[in-house]
Amino acid sequence: MKNSMEKREGRCKLFHFEIGKIQDWKPVKDLLNWARAWSLWSVHLCTGCCSPELMAVACSRFDAERFGTLPFPTLRECDLLFILGVVTEKMAKRVKITYEQMPEPKYVIALGDCAISGGLWWDSYNVVQGVDKIIPVDVYVPGCPPRPEAWIQGLRLLQKKIMEGR
Amino acid sequence: MLKVEEEVVKTLKQTFPEYVVEAKVQREKRVTVVVKREGLVEIARFLRDSLQFDHVASVSGVDYPEKNELMVVYHIWSIPKKVLIALKTSVPRDNPHLSSLISVWEGVNYFERETWEMFGIVFDGHPNLSRFLLPEDWNKGFPFRKDFKLRTKPE
Amino acid sequence: MSIMRVRWGPQHPVSGQWAFWLDVDGDIVVNMEPDIGYTHRGIEKVAENRTYIQNVPVIERTSVFDAGNIVFGYVQAVEELMGIEIPERAKYIRTIVGEMSRIVSHLYGLGLLAIAVGFETMLMWFINDRELFLDLFEMLTGARITYSFFIPGGVLHDLPQGFYDEAMRRLDYFERRLKDYWKMFFLNRTFVTRTRGVGVLKREDAIRLGVVGPNLRASGVEADVRKDEPYAAYDQIDFIVPTEKEGDAYARGGVRFHELEQSVSIIRQALQKIPDGRVRVKVPITPTPPKGEAYSRVETARGEIGYYIISDGSDRPYRVKISAPSFRNLLAMPFLSRNVPMADIPTIYLSLDLIPLDVDR
Repeated sequence: MKNSMEKREGRCKLFHFEIGKIQDWKPVKDLLNWARAWSLWSVHLCTGCCSPELMAVACSRFDAERFGTLPFPTLRECDLLFILGVVTEKMAKRVKITYEQMPEPKYVIALGDCAISGGLWWDSYNVVQGVDKIIPVDVYVPGCPPRPEAWIQGLRLLQKKIMEGR
Repeated sequence: MLKVEEEVVKTLKQTFPEYVVEAKVQREKRVTVVVKREGLVEIARFLRDSLQFDHVASVSGVDYPEKNELMVVYHIWSIPKKVLIALKTSVPRDNPHLSSLISVWEGVNYFERETWEMFGIVFDGHPNLSRFLLPEDWNKGFPFRKDFKLRTKPE
Repeated sequence: MSIMRVRWGPQHPVSGQWAFWLDVDGDIVVNMEPDIGYTHRGIEKVAENRTYIQNVPVIERTSVFDAGNIVFGYVQAVEELMGIEIPERAKYIRTIVGEMSRIVSHLYGLGLLAIAVGFETMLMWFINDRELFLDLFEMLTGARITYSFFIPGGVLHDLPQGFYDEAMRRLDYFERRLKDYWKMFFLNRTFVTRTRGVGVLKREDAIRLGVVGPNLRASGVEADVRKDEPYAAYDQIDFIVPTEKEGDAYARGGVRFHELEQSVSIIRQALQKIPDGRVRVKVPITPTPPKGEAYSRVETARGEIGYYIISDGSDRPYRVKISAPSFRNLLAMPFLSRNVPMADIPTIYLSLDLIPLDVDR
């Protein structure tokens, strides 16, 4: 006859086994992806000169908060990293540290021509020619700087990517 | 018309005949003076105390590899007189030492630090000549000199 | 007394693209050292590799917040080197675009000052009103922020049809809003308590450290390039230059606010007095100015910018030196950060309107 402690332990193991199987079940997976896509919290890391458009998008005319994105100060509770523009050699180390400190699952959007491939500064001695040499990127948004409408389309593309489970 | 500017040029030529190499009025509100590096601090102090040039506008370096020298140009604005003076001096490339003007105008602090970093001109007497704009582990030379070449096609 | 070294790094809600080291004793800051260079792109070296007209977008990215006035100085220096004179209509159009750029930049700067004291409503209102003028830029050139409208020889093209009515309508709306902003923001007791007496810069210290722009005028010095060395159409327009005496963060914000009112009046006068004529003189696609040098000064929103250009007779400049306003104001930051509580540090540097893009170039 098992005592009450052993019975409780047995029930816990069964519980964890069932939770693991439930998460792979398709309706639950779709629900989790939908929740993740509509509550992306972004990190406050301004790198280059696309930052006035960050202000314009976050404020009331092109409100990005209706899609669930909120610039949040604490790094450990965010899942989206915006790379805004030029990344220099000095900033590259900090971008890598920031990316490694974020918990999984995490996504990166590269905004602006300079973040995609170096842009106007193709011959500068201090500019990294494209941020995908340092960290993996999910969505690229071209422009110098990209219009707020392009910004929001990039966000929607990322949401579609998450909801399809990629 | 250009009375204030001509008076500045005349006073400088009369007070420091042994240090002033060239002094002229370029146009309205612009005066250019080329001096030898030994007399730089004395002339600067005279400009600040007697001729009222008090507001620092910029400090820049220029590289002339064919003459084998580096030139330093100090631009100073005078708030009461409303005239800009360009104070120029040259140092040879193999001994680029110059006295810092931080004891005369405190506003040249960060400008001289950046000029050291980009050209390699050493300002004697500056309190803190250390890395400013470039990354901490930079070891590829002085970027603004003419022998530092940029890449010729995109990666 | 035990000193702890704290880093206020580049990833921070209120910091921007620079960092600094603070030596703190409890909550009081004893020493402050700036750590800049996170956006150093080497504009001055890259500019030696491009022709004079290809340089206009490169120089514009020195500070995108105030893109009109930044390019102003560069094109004036190139025109002085080439020895050409631009038509009158171009001077008035340059004045109008320069003042609109100043309004847009001041609204951004005041919005950041509002975040520093925790007043997010004013940030939303200021950024929203900025959209009024960004729409006008879009009507003029097609781009909102980086429009590259000035070239050596004049401006790219004429004002479009309907620009006058649209601009007047928006200026009327903006002037009404400014009256509300004064009551809501500058007479608000919390804002006054948090900024009065913070970061006081006296007149002699301001001149000695080489501070420029509204920071200098808030300490009692009357120095403005538009009055000392008039350029474009400023000698034919009536306006005053606001100054204050106290030199604290409240005075610096107040000077910027009064400059907004003056800019609205300047744009109105320029739109009414503008003469007819051409907007550009013929300049070759790759100009080759004769040997020489030029220094031109222009008043941007953050202060005075200086361009020192040396030409050696070829189609690329020999040396371009940009003496940016935020770089000159940076020296005031360690001076003002002694013996203040740590919560005052963002108020001080956002009231000096330091933009790291300007500092690093």
